[in-house]
Amino acid sequence: MGHGASHAADLGPQNIQLPSFVLGFRNVAIGLGVVGLGAGAAIGFTGAMGTTAHHFWRAYMVAFLLGLSVCLGGLFFVAIQHLTRAGWSVAVRRPAEALASNLRWYWLLFVPFAVLWGMGKANVLWIWADMETLRANNEAEWHIVHAKEAFLNPTFFWIRAVVYFAAWALLAHFFLTNSTRQDESGDRAITERMQKWSGPAIIVFGLTTTFAAFDWIMSLSPAWFSTMFGVYFFCGCATAGFASMILVTVRLQKAGTLKGIVTSEHYQDLGKMLFAFGMVFWAYIAFSQYMLIWYANVPEETGWYLARQVGGWIPVSVALLFGHFVIPFVAVISKWPKRMPLVLAAAAVWMLCAHYIDLYWLVVPEIPHDLSSMATYAQVSEKYADTPTHLGNPVNFLLAIGALALVAAGTITTLSRVALVPKKDPRLADSLAFENM
Amino acid sequence: MATITTNPSDTKTGDAPQSPAKLYGFIAEFETPGDLMAAAEKVRDAGYKWWDCHTPFPVHGLDGAMGIQRTWLPIFVFFAGMTGTIAAFLLQGFTNSWNLTIWAGVWVTGYPYLISGKPAMSLPAFIPVMFELTILFSALSCVGLMFLFNGLPQLYHPLFKSNRFRRASNDRFFISIESRDPNFLPRKTEQFLRSLGPVSVEAVEA
Repeated sequence: MGHGASHAADLGPQNIQLPSFVLGFRNVAIGLGVVGLGAGAAIGFTGAMGTTAHHFWRAYMVAFLLGLSVCLGGLFFVAIQHLTRAGWSVAVRRPAEALASNLRWYWLLFVPFAVLWGMGKANVLWIWADMETLRANNEAEWHIVHAKEAFLNPTFFWIRAVVYFAAWALLAHFFLTNSTRQDESGDRAITERMQKWSGPAIIVFGLTTTFAAFDWIMSLSPAWFSTMFGVYFFCGCATAGFASMILVTVRLQKAGTLKGIVTSEHYQDLGKMLFAFGMVFWAYIAFSQYMLIWYANVPEETGWYLARQVGGWIPVSVALLFGHFVIPFVAVISKWPKRMPLVLAAAAVWMLCAHYIDLYWLVVPEIPHDLSSMATYAQVSEKYADTPTHLGNPVNFLLAIGALALVAAGTITTLSRVALVPKKDPRLADSLAFENM
Repeated sequence: MATITTNPSDTKTGDAPQSPAKLYGFIAEFETPGDLMAAAEKVRDAGYKWWDCHTPFPVHGLDGAMGIQRTWLPIFVFFAGMTGTIAAFLLQGFTNSWNLTIWAGVWVTGYPYLISGKPAMSLPAFIPVMFELTILFSALSCVGLMFLFNGLPQLYHPLFKSNRFRRASNDRFFISIESRDPNFLPRKTEQFLRSLGPVSVEAVEA
């Protein structure tokens, strides 16, 4: 309020439309995506640099989840803004809508997994996909997984996957099309409709991301379970989504758009969101999950953490603690770094890298099969002292960059077709005049 | 339009002659937050130090218009929080210790509990308490120091004498300049305040 009336933001086309030169970046991004995924697949299938099929599919899963979490983070932001009827965020909502809009095609990146199932080799990732082999290899684990077969069976797994992608595509499409339709008409009823459906949308979002995390990450170690796991993945989505929103917004302003529309006030709030979800909330739920399992000390549960406390995984776990929490927490806790776009963008890049390592740490390690034959942690850590992480394998980076580049290309495509700001949103004036205390 | 009353709220009658009332300062009354902001910038630029703005609701950007410096509070709160972290760690370490007796009001001795085979010094188990005490120490010191820095609690204030000032909690916006300000000269300051275009200017007794 106060002197907010003095704001007269420029809503002219050159300020709220994507400059044509950015479309050149889209071609670069598509090229990067094709080359990254193609070269990754080439390395994976030829087994170059010691890459096993086993590692390749895990690396691809990490890359797939990285791009997915960016889009889901955008969807979460859009839905939560409508749910809370937020005024401040209107100026930065369109980038989030554009990120989420990729969910309309992102199922394409899941097709390779369908091919893997079709070839009957799904047990390279999901060992429960071939129960006979599992029984032959590890009878004890088979017993546990067998009891879960009502949920963990191929038919239901694929039905769920279709439901997740359909729900995400539908929600992302709903919010983007309604928002852009309002750009033409300025009809308040559209805002009311989006607010009305944002409640069910958040419920659907929460359930689908939770079960997707169960299906695609947690069930890679099918005997293990954690009720916290869905929240853990959701937290990663929020981290990736806010980091990407910051990067997209900074880039749009650097391209000469959104001048006087997105201000340091909005950056400060995006920074708060990144800080709250990426650092504080992540540390909170990651530690909560760890502490309960550590304290209860039940063998079925501790194995999952044990696998991440041996050999090369020790420095990765420590790096995660400092890279995802301690260092960025201290760096971004103050007001000033959140208000400087380039500093905030650096923090966003940092958090995307930390999020990648987090996903890698979730997906790649494997629980040793012979834990039950060992009495102490010292025995386990000695036997598995040489466990490699393969984190330096280029296939990881090629696939991750490929997935992110395709998300970037999709985002640019969406942004090139719509205004960069919901220009007739009834709360736009609120957002333009927004000031932190 | 502007009126000056030296003692608007004085309802005392028939008292013995008083010594001349000491001046607390002047208040200037404005109708809108915008007027107040413009005036505050001029008071700031005139170099006054002992002055304040009084508004019925938070006015965005007023701290900038008043030239208020960054508070030191976060620095103190940081160290208070760290104190909480360390205190929680020491407390739990000590209570799980053995053969260690210290005097804390009375003589106390550590008593190690064996809980599900965990070592006595188990950092993961300590972290929730360390976290909570960090928050507790930070929050209490933040509120407590905020009160201290602001001179609160303060049950009486000279400005309460002014009837006009009551509207500061309703629909009017005030600037007050105190007589203890080094730049304060009664006539000059009063004229300065009037030059800012207020609805009224009023002297308030100490």
